[in-house]
Amino acid sequence: MATIAPPSTYFDFRRAQTKKKLVGLWRMMADYRLAYLAANLSLAVSALSKTLTYLLLRNFADTVVGNLEPFAGTLTRTLVWIALGFVGLATVEGGFAFVSGRLASYAAEGITRRLRNFLFDHIQRLSFAYHSRTPTGDLIERVTSDVDSVRTFFNDQAIGVGRIFLLFLINFVAIWQLSWKLALASVIVIPIILVVSVWFFKRVTQAYEAYQEQEAKLSTTLQENLTGVRVVKAFARQGYETDKFEKDNWEKFLRGRKLLRMHSLFWPLSDILCGFQMLGGFIFAAVLAINGEITIGTYPAYVGLVVWLIWPMRNLGRIIVNTSTGLVSYERLMEIVKQEREPLTDGTIYPSGSVRGDLVFENVSFQFEDGNTDVLKEITFHVRPGQSVALLGSTGSGKTTLVNLLPRFHEYTDGRILLDGEELKEYPREILRQQIGIVEQEPFLFSRSIRENISYGVGRQVSDEEVERAAQAAAIHDVIQGFPDGYRTLVGEKGVTLSGGQKQRVAIARTLLKNPRILILDDSTSSVDTETEAEIRAALNRLMENRTTFIIAHRIQSVMNADLILVMDKGSIVQMGQHKDLVAQDGMYRQIFDIQTRIDTELEEEISSAQ
Amino acid sequence: MSAELIELEEEEHTSQLTAPTFKRILGLLRPHWRWMVGFLFTIALTAGLDALFTYINRAIIDEGIASRSIPLLVRFATYYGGLQLVQAALVFGFIYLAGVLGERIQYDLRKAVFEHLQNLSLSYYSQNAVGRLMARVTSDTGRVSSLMTWGLLDVTWAIVSVISSTIFMLLINWKLALIVFGIIPILLIIAVNFRKKILVEFRKSRRANSKITGEYNQNIQGVRVVKALGREDENLNEFSVLTDNMYSASYRAAWLSALFLPTVQIISAFALGAIVWYGGLESVTAGFSVGNIHAFVSYLTFMIWPIQDLARVYAEMQHSIASAERIFKLLDTQPEVQNRADAIMAETIQGEIEFDHVDFYYEDRKPVLTDLSLKVRPGEMIALVGPTGGGKTTIVNLLCRFYEPKAGVIRINGRDYTDYTLQSIHSRVGIVLQTPHLFSGSIRENIRYGRLDASDEDVEAAARIAGAHDFITTFEKGYAQDVGEGGNQLSVGQKQLISLARAVLAKPEIFIMDEATSSVDTLTEALIQRGMEALMADRTSFIIAHRLSTIRRADRIVVIEDGRIAEMGTHAELLKSHGHYYRLYTQQFKVEKEKAYGVAVPEVVPVIK
Repeated sequence: MATIAPPSTYFDFRRAQTKKKLVGLWRMMADYRLAYLAANLSLAVSALSKTLTYLLLRNFADTVVGNLEPFAGTLTRTLVWIALGFVGLATVEGGFAFVSGRLASYAAEGITRRLRNFLFDHIQRLSFAYHSRTPTGDLIERVTSDVDSVRTFFNDQAIGVGRIFLLFLINFVAIWQLSWKLALASVIVIPIILVVSVWFFKRVTQAYEAYQEQEAKLSTTLQENLTGVRVVKAFARQGYETDKFEKDNWEKFLRGRKLLRMHSLFWPLSDILCGFQMLGGFIFAAVLAINGEITIGTYPAYVGLVVWLIWPMRNLGRIIVNTSTGLVSYERLMEIVKQEREPLTDGTIYPSGSVRGDLVFENVSFQFEDGNTDVLKEITFHVRPGQSVALLGSTGSGKTTLVNLLPRFHEYTDGRILLDGEELKEYPREILRQQIGIVEQEPFLFSRSIRENISYGVGRQVSDEEVERAAQAAAIHDVIQGFPDGYRTLVGEKGVTLSGGQKQRVAIARTLLKNPRILILDDSTSSVDTETEAEIRAALNRLMENRTTFIIAHRIQSVMNADLILVMDKGSIVQMGQHKDLVAQDGMYRQIFDIQTRIDTELEEEISSAQ
Repeated sequence: MSAELIELEEEEHTSQLTAPTFKRILGLLRPHWRWMVGFLFTIALTAGLDALFTYINRAIIDEGIASRSIPLLVRFATYYGGLQLVQAALVFGFIYLAGVLGERIQYDLRKAVFEHLQNLSLSYYSQNAVGRLMARVTSDTGRVSSLMTWGLLDVTWAIVSVISSTIFMLLINWKLALIVFGIIPILLIIAVNFRKKILVEFRKSRRANSKITGEYNQNIQGVRVVKALGREDENLNEFSVLTDNMYSASYRAAWLSALFLPTVQIISAFALGAIVWYGGLESVTAGFSVGNIHAFVSYLTFMIWPIQDLARVYAEMQHSIASAERIFKLLDTQPEVQNRADAIMAETIQGEIEFDHVDFYYEDRKPVLTDLSLKVRPGEMIALVGPTGGGKTTIVNLLCRFYEPKAGVIRINGRDYTDYTLQSIHSRVGIVLQTPHLFSGSIRENIRYGRLDASDEDVEAAARIAGAHDFITTFEKGYAQDVGEGGNQLSVGQKQLISLARAVLAKPEIFIMDEATSSVDTLTEALIQRGMEALMADRTSFIIAHRLSTIRRADRIVVIEDGRIAEMGTHAELLKSHGHYYRLYTQQFKVEKEKAYGVAVPEVVPVIK
């Protein structure tokens, strides 16, 4: 609404953390409380107009058939005024109802928008540890359906309670004005209606959940059947599958029937309660009218007003029960909100240009928060700018953990790492991550165009020519040209599926554009066929020029040219040096080297024996 | 494509009711016609009685109060109360009848669609994504059943309300009634237009919503890359564009809805004003009573609600008809592969198998197999090797008769295999696929899938042969252990061992392995290898494999390239000829050896973790 300056689309929901859930929801409403107040006031005006309509009806009836003096002199003129009054009141009523609805959705949608923005941002800034222990599905469930129930809370329940309360208050006062006895007589069963409806909606919510659960089960059965169609057919199990589906389907029917039985009992029952309350009121009002305690026009006015006193109460039960859903969702969201973020700007050194890439590890040890065993033990070595370090060792030897310390994905627990002579922990994470490029063996690509994937995270505007040059250097340009939409081809299920090697080359192009000083490379080309291996190798060599490079290697060929080779085992460096030195030593490196040589010999033997 | 997107896309379709569709929809109701008659009757009566309440109120005012007669009042009150009870019974009736009928129709439809899906051929499945088929069974059936119950109920209620209000209004004062009828067309036009606009915005917001979910999903899955590249701020900026779109669309949809009812009310207020003005004048000249005016005001609302609601019902109806048409289309699809009219049960398929000049393609002009001929002796083990997409899996698909040749013949025991019933071929083939597929339930149930009447001992024996027994017994519940949805509580290797046990239990006459070891660790691979050998002993078997030891053991190696047999022979013969197989073998040899010596790490491990 134009009446208030629009609040920011970003809000720190950590401020809404509290043990009292309703207070928390109240805090979430910050900046929008005025809108809510205005919405409620509009609602009050609207409800008042409706009430006045009935009071006008009373005046009209009393003027026409009773003995009330026409207020505008003649009856004809009074009637014109009354008719205009109805139209006017309806306009006010409708107009303010609209304003109220618009304000409420303005607030609810506004709060939801910034909640979504906040959660998105918050989640991407949570620590690696949090992400490794939290399943994606669970997070998605929370940011979609829980956000939606919070939205429903702000859109319906937050305003609905006010609406029912206002309707009740205004109409009760109006009837009280007509006759206090009538007013009291009209609300006798309201507590019962309220209790019954809360009771009912609680149960119906449970029954509905049971029904939905069965629906989900049926979906699973269906999905497993459809995705496993080859298995079903290969074992000729169509009949068995049909029986299984039938069982779930029938159970769902039974649960649906149960749910409906509840509905079909509650609605008429509450109809009877409300109906007899109204009837009682009607009779009482009619008797009062006959006795002359109220005018004849008061009767139809009462009949109109009492409807707005009683029927909304049936809905109050639903609103109350639904509020509890909103509260549960609030809690589930707050479990995400309360997680600590990874501090990106934590550090004191802001180098004026690029770093040089001189890295010293001094007795560096690392262990995970939960574990007691060291993942890395007393690692010491030195790399000069532009040199390459190859890490060789089996899975779990600590290679990956070691390189993950560099961008401060994890913090080393002992010893120190010096970058250009300064403690690594003094560099803010965001600075380090700008300076470090990572190329994984099979990198994660986003469902965007190839062009966007190449320029993803580069942090500046890049021209099409630049992107293409990077792609050429990464030996992926020709592949991209072959796609139907070239660089605009989407990656993923709506576009093309890239092979592991192609993905890696896209990541190489991206890293070339980013131009970091330090490079982390997962070099395992074992699964790619021979032609592309040469291409990838050439691209990698271009990438490594003038950068301090860490190579996670899986075969001897890819480490032979490194300036420094670290052979790792169980978190420690067991051997260190260059290829020519290490081959000469007795140790793990030579063992691996010997095996590689032996394989070639074995192959020759194998082939000659077959012939 | 996500289920949500499919749903959105399909919702765009609307359809007009045609006579054949209408007839078929009615056909669905035939078995339950009593229920339908019941709810239509009760809802019609409910709507009719609603009008009567007003009539009684009119009588209370005009006769009871005006004549100051308590006995009259009591009489009317009794009518009112009695009517209330009847009404409650009717409300119970229509909710129960329509609701249960709806559930029942949905049950019937789902059953029919599911059963039909079971008979459709693999070609149908490859042309229709699982998400789409799911939508057929779940949301489409839901929409059709609600059309036939709540939709029909709304229409009936609307018609009866309008008619009964019209009659009562005409009875009370025809001139006033005409004034009221004057505003109805205006209301209808407004209602229809509003609905259209709201629907457009609503769809926009749902589309925005599914984009938001997609973005969340991606950003969480790729969160490590995001962090490594320090792209958080840009991501938030991009994401807030999505939430802005969502905001605009849903805010607009919300306030349009908030505008709709007041508009209807204001317009009807003109009619109300007219009633009051004209009625007031009439009361002096023609004795128009307060009760009459009161009644008129009530009837006005009885007319307006259904009319403004009809626009919604109409829109929903068009979507439901589109759903019904999609369901009927599915039900009308004939399975591409089915039993011939004179098909016979095969006694055994353990004999000679012959591919005789077989051509096959999934799509026109894109041949997958061309003029393929291959004779396999009983008990022979055939290894199919070659590049991905060369046609190996297609050969297996044809052999299992998931598809049939487009040209040429496949013979089993010298007889065209389409002479046999599908059942008799399928039940004698054992197949282990590259991606093992398990069903929710226990391990035991999954193995027993191979032979339903197998005893627990048989299941265990099969598991032993397959090499699955050892890991199964490490579970707390052993064979009763739940495998989770789609087997997600187990590793790929474990799932593969169970699917092997399943095939063992089935005691197949032909055994097929389609790259069953390509995504498992070395240890599991060795186990599978052993199980396989046990299974292949004196059975005809077809193996698609990468692993050299498996391939080497084959009686014959067939190299398939571009849908043709490029080379064929024993391991030694093929190595000697220095052809395709030679190249394939030397390359694979290195990789395998490196794996075996623990020099190279085969599986893809993310660097950033």
